[in-house]
Amino acid sequence: MANPQVAGYAEALFAVAAAEGNLAVVEDELFGFAQAIRSNDELRSTLADGNVPAGRRLQVVEDLLSGQATATTSALVSLVVGAGRAADLPAIVDAFIERSAASRNKAVATVRSAVDLSDDQRQRLAEAIKTSSGKDVEIKVVIDPTVLGGVITEIGDDIIDGSVRRRLNQLRESFR
Amino acid sequence: MSKLRNRLLVAPLLAVLGLVALSGPASASGESVGGCMAELFTEAIEEAHGDVAHAAHDVAVQSALEKCFEAPSPIIPEVNEIIWGGSAFLILFVIMVKKGFPAVKGAMDARADKIRDDLDAAEQAKTDAQSVKTDYEAQLADAKAESSRIINEARVTADQLKADLAVQAEASIAEMRERAAADVESSRQQAIADLRAEVAGIALGAAERVVQSSLNADVHGSLIDAYIDEVAGNNG
Repeated sequence: MANPQVAGYAEALFAVAAAEGNLAVVEDELFGFAQAIRSNDELRSTLADGNVPAGRRLQVVEDLLSGQATATTSALVSLVVGAGRAADLPAIVDAFIERSAASRNKAVATVRSAVDLSDDQRQRLAEAIKTSSGKDVEIKVVIDPTVLGGVITEIGDDIIDGSVRRRLNQLRESFR
Repeated sequence: MSKLRNRLLVAPLLAVLGLVALSGPASASGESVGGCMAELFTEAIEEAHGDVAHAAHDVAVQSALEKCFEAPSPIIPEVNEIIWGGSAFLILFVIMVKKGFPAVKGAMDARADKIRDDLDAAEQAKTDAQSVKTDYEAQLADAKAESSRIINEARVTADQLKADLAVQAEASIAEMRERAAADVESSRQQAIADLRAEVAGIALGAAERVVQSSLNADVHGSLIDAYIDEVAGNNG
């Protein structure tokens, strides 16, 4: 369960995106921005650094998202960063996506893969997950080269690891 | 008793001294040979009623005069000497009895008292010294006993400490040996593990490079498809 602040911001973002009528687009853009923050320590520390003036942090957001995201997404990110919650932004986005999927009676399946999945693969993976777990999910793909090959799917606290990395780790453990 | 004996010894001594001091020689008292002869001859003349020749030819007178040449008795003094000597003796004796004896007696008594006090003090001092000596000897004996006890205790303690230290040293040595053996074994195991990890790392690194080099788009697609099929087949 996310903390109250994270849940509160996620609900606010969901309300704004729903009101603007571009929930799916904002959802994808926020998801991509959150993954960028997760994978870039310098960006994360800069946006979360209280010693950096708020104007400078907002300028960084504007530079990153200008022309790359909708005005709604840029405004929502600026809202969170300007409030000094940049460190919580990935968790807020996760909660926002879950909240958005829940509004469609779906769960979120975060899929990590070294390469992007095709639409067909996404569709078949969603159906396979529904077949195996009974959950209707929306696929969110995270490009993660450390996976090497295969896929890692996270649905809530459940993880289905079919990556080459896992097999190499198993091989490493067998050497010990 | 001693006072009386002293007095008896002193009295004759004083009498003899009085006789010697007060009695004079015969010549000094008119008893020289000439005086004797003159006195006898004068008496003889008077008995002869002034007839000097008769007196001079009287054999008795001549015999008496011859006796003047004889020495006086060495033992029996002259009468006057006895009188004078006796008087002096009596006077001296009285003086001595009245004055001398008490003074001498007082001095002797004082001297005796002083000597007695000194003797008593010496005796007391001797007693005190003996008591102190006894105390010192007792204290010395106690000190010796105490020192012996302390030495014995120290020896026992030292022996016990020595034994304890020996036991501790043996225990420490055994513990050090065990620890060293454990360290050696641990180091050996760690070296084996490190070597194994190193080998595994090298092997896995090589495997990872091989896998990465072989992962093209088709392989990725195949892996994803296989994963989807696996998830779909895992329905329970």
